[in-house]
Amino acid sequence: MSTLDKTHTSSRPVPNPKRSLITRLHMGTGVVVGVIFAALVYYALKSSLLTYADGVAEPLSPHDNNIVLLGAMFAWSIGFMVGIGAFIGPWRWMIGKDLTDEEILYLAGDGQGIKRYFKYCTDHKVVGIQYLVGVMTLLGVGGTMAMMIRTNLARPGGHFITATVYNSLVGLHGITMIIAMIIVATGPFGNYIMPIMIGAYDMAFPRLNALSWWVLFTAIPVLCSAWFLGGIPTGWTAYAPLSIQAGPGMNAFLATIIIFAVSTAVAGANITTTVIAMRTKGMKWNRVPIFVIGSTISVALAIPAFPTFMVSMIMTALDRTYNTGFFDANMGGSGWLYSNLFWIMGHPEVYVILIPGVAALMEIVPVFVRKPLFSYTAAVMGFAGIAGLSILVWAHHMYMAGWAPSLNGPFMVTTEMISIPTGLLFLVLIGTMWRGKPWMKLPMLSVFAFLWDFMIGGITGIYLSDVPADSYLHGSMFVTAHFHFTLMGAALTGAIGGLAYWYPKMTGRMLHERAGYISFWMTQIGFNVLFFGMFMAGAEGQPRRVMDYAAFFRNSNLVSTIGAYTVGMGMIILLWAVIHSWTKGKIAPMNPWGAKTLEWTVPYPVPLTNFDELPVITSDPYGYGKGK
Amino acid sequence: MADHNVEELAPTPGERTSRFFKRTDVRQTTLFFILWTTLFVVLGLVFYPRWMPTIMSVEMKSAESIMIWFTVISAPVAASVLAVATTAFMNRHRGDTPPPDGPAIRTNGPVVAVWTITSLLFALVAIVWGLTEMNAQAVAAGKDAKSAIVVEVTGSQWVWTFNYPAQGIETHELNLPVGVPVTFNVKSADVNHSFWPVQLGVKIDANAQVTTVIHSLPNKVGPIDVKCAELCGLYHAYMETTGEIQSASDFDAWVVAQGGHKA
Repeated sequence: MSTLDKTHTSSRPVPNPKRSLITRLHMGTGVVVGVIFAALVYYALKSSLLTYADGVAEPLSPHDNNIVLLGAMFAWSIGFMVGIGAFIGPWRWMIGKDLTDEEILYLAGDGQGIKRYFKYCTDHKVVGIQYLVGVMTLLGVGGTMAMMIRTNLARPGGHFITATVYNSLVGLHGITMIIAMIIVATGPFGNYIMPIMIGAYDMAFPRLNALSWWVLFTAIPVLCSAWFLGGIPTGWTAYAPLSIQAGPGMNAFLATIIIFAVSTAVAGANITTTVIAMRTKGMKWNRVPIFVIGSTISVALAIPAFPTFMVSMIMTALDRTYNTGFFDANMGGSGWLYSNLFWIMGHPEVYVILIPGVAALMEIVPVFVRKPLFSYTAAVMGFAGIAGLSILVWAHHMYMAGWAPSLNGPFMVTTEMISIPTGLLFLVLIGTMWRGKPWMKLPMLSVFAFLWDFMIGGITGIYLSDVPADSYLHGSMFVTAHFHFTLMGAALTGAIGGLAYWYPKMTGRMLHERAGYISFWMTQIGFNVLFFGMFMAGAEGQPRRVMDYAAFFRNSNLVSTIGAYTVGMGMIILLWAVIHSWTKGKIAPMNPWGAKTLEWTVPYPVPLTNFDELPVITSDPYGYGKGK
Repeated sequence: MADHNVEELAPTPGERTSRFFKRTDVRQTTLFFILWTTLFVVLGLVFYPRWMPTIMSVEMKSAESIMIWFTVISAPVAASVLAVATTAFMNRHRGDTPPPDGPAIRTNGPVVAVWTITSLLFALVAIVWGLTEMNAQAVAAGKDAKSAIVVEVTGSQWVWTFNYPAQGIETHELNLPVGVPVTFNVKSADVNHSFWPVQLGVKIDANAQVTTVIHSLPNKVGPIDVKCAELCGLYHAYMETTGEIQSASDFDAWVVAQGGHKA
């Protein structure tokens, strides 16, 4: 338990480093410089690549056009970072100086009110809120795309949207949600809550923290530009050679992933270093809150996984610009090479998404059941086991690719072994609930929903991992339903539980309870109806990612669409609750749930350095219960 | 005093078990365990056979039995999780103050051990089952290789083309004789596709410049659907065709009608 028990009021004067460039830079200057950079590079590349016949410019070849667009996109990202002041620190280092103390304090944003959210602000709490708003925006956009997909699939022969738009929606819904889900828990809670949980003044690298958010921010307009460049035809997996054949919109996808991979690498290094090096006195590894363990394992898994994603995108970009033929079989390359690189990232990535969500729920259950976390060791072993095995299972996505059929057996073995550490996660959750009386608040409801959803996702995953069953189910709607049960039903439900739990600390107000309950039941019931229909469609034999289907599948698809609208309405209610409660909600006490982790020992607003004096830890934060 | 001494004796394992099962929460959990197990068994036994298309090959049979029986086998495991959760939900605490503290159970060695061993056994059953089926299919394919009818399948945006070299015909519909093993040699003329004769329960990607192979043994006469299971661009959804598993004589007649000859 923490020894810290004092209230704190911030009384520092607002730092004012006069005439420093830093005080004049913000998101707006970033956008301006970014656009200028992009425009300069665009025209420079274009004019250098244009050829003239009789004094008349010939249109650019697709390859040259890709060079121009990719150049402009990266220039935007770099220009934005220049314009917001991200490189001032490194520049000073190059000339043998550093930021002055006043400038460093200014960058932390203390006392600058709402403006600091639009600046290169190094305070981990500001970055946490930026991530939260970013995640909600991405989920909103991705969710809207899902509604359009389901609207088109409501009836057979639906032509609510064209085939090009439909395929783009499928791909962009996928990648938007994947990006949102990767950061959904480690972004907001990992940045805002986690440093306080481990008793640190800030993250290990505050400037990298700001960098990770703003780099991610620059990826969003790039991703959106895919719509104006004709969309993407490939789905989020961007399989070659379709991705090489694809039009200019594909460049936006490639650039987004490359920029996003930079952001996650920076964030991953920052979070792991913070947890390893900055835990307060007495916080041994067996006293670290389980959410911190889960998030750290998740980002540590992302660090080796995402570079292969980046590499596969760079190679695709080279194929599309300089005709390198890495993934083009007609030039001696291999599409299987792409699939391997992609899934070597792709399967660890789903556990990068899942683990923090489960870990958040493990933080919630002891508090709401008033019992210690059941078998902390099993929880850690579960996360570590999943992370370890997950790097050896990627080719179960490729059982039916024809690539190395003799490896299907070994990959089936590793995949099914994952059910053992996964079982431990279930055991920890139900062991903690056993003989308890759960306090039915919003965060606890998510735990029940998680257990059901993840159970369905897990069992269907077992058939899919079995090669003879996968030979029927692969590439069908059944797969789509399965991974939505794990990523949405489990990971997103966990993150929403985390939001309901930490909302009072992040905003100083309680989340609107009634709206929260209504939203919970609508999204959960709608979700189960939606993907029940999709399991049915898949078992009946409907391939995934199709814009139309035979009349035979009409019932299952109609069920899905009805469920989807219910989820959509539930999510809108949740969004309303979050926005409404942020300014008008009931003022939250310092520790509304009576939890024992350190974040609940600091007041709202959380002071700039979190603690006046770092707490000393003498036990883990799960000392609930009577007897024993 | 004598009575008091008797009470202080440690209960025998049998007494402890019977006391354990007399506890209200344990009884509730047991009840929910039975209910959830039944539900999952019924779900597995009822839904998949209803939903899945007619079984027309050995491979399809194998896929469907895995889906049904894995659901049934996993039912008790799933039910134990959901039973504990349901019991906790029934004993929930409402109101604005936290519930009283529960028992401080930090871990329970035997429970963790039994749970881990159970999930290990469960994983082993799934693995052994899968490997056995795969092996059986591989052995059958090897044995049938000589008697198999060969179909060269080409996927191109957005059409399937079937070439029967021994019969000398090329079509866009996939007709096959019943009871004769078939070998599909699959390739793509452009991007990746995935060849999926739905009712045969097999699937393999079509790749440019490489031939992938899949075997099947159709064992029932009737119409089949052929679909593409890999997003292949604009009209992926419409890259489908039909075919028929036919009796040997019907198949021969069809081959001749297509301008081919009996193999």
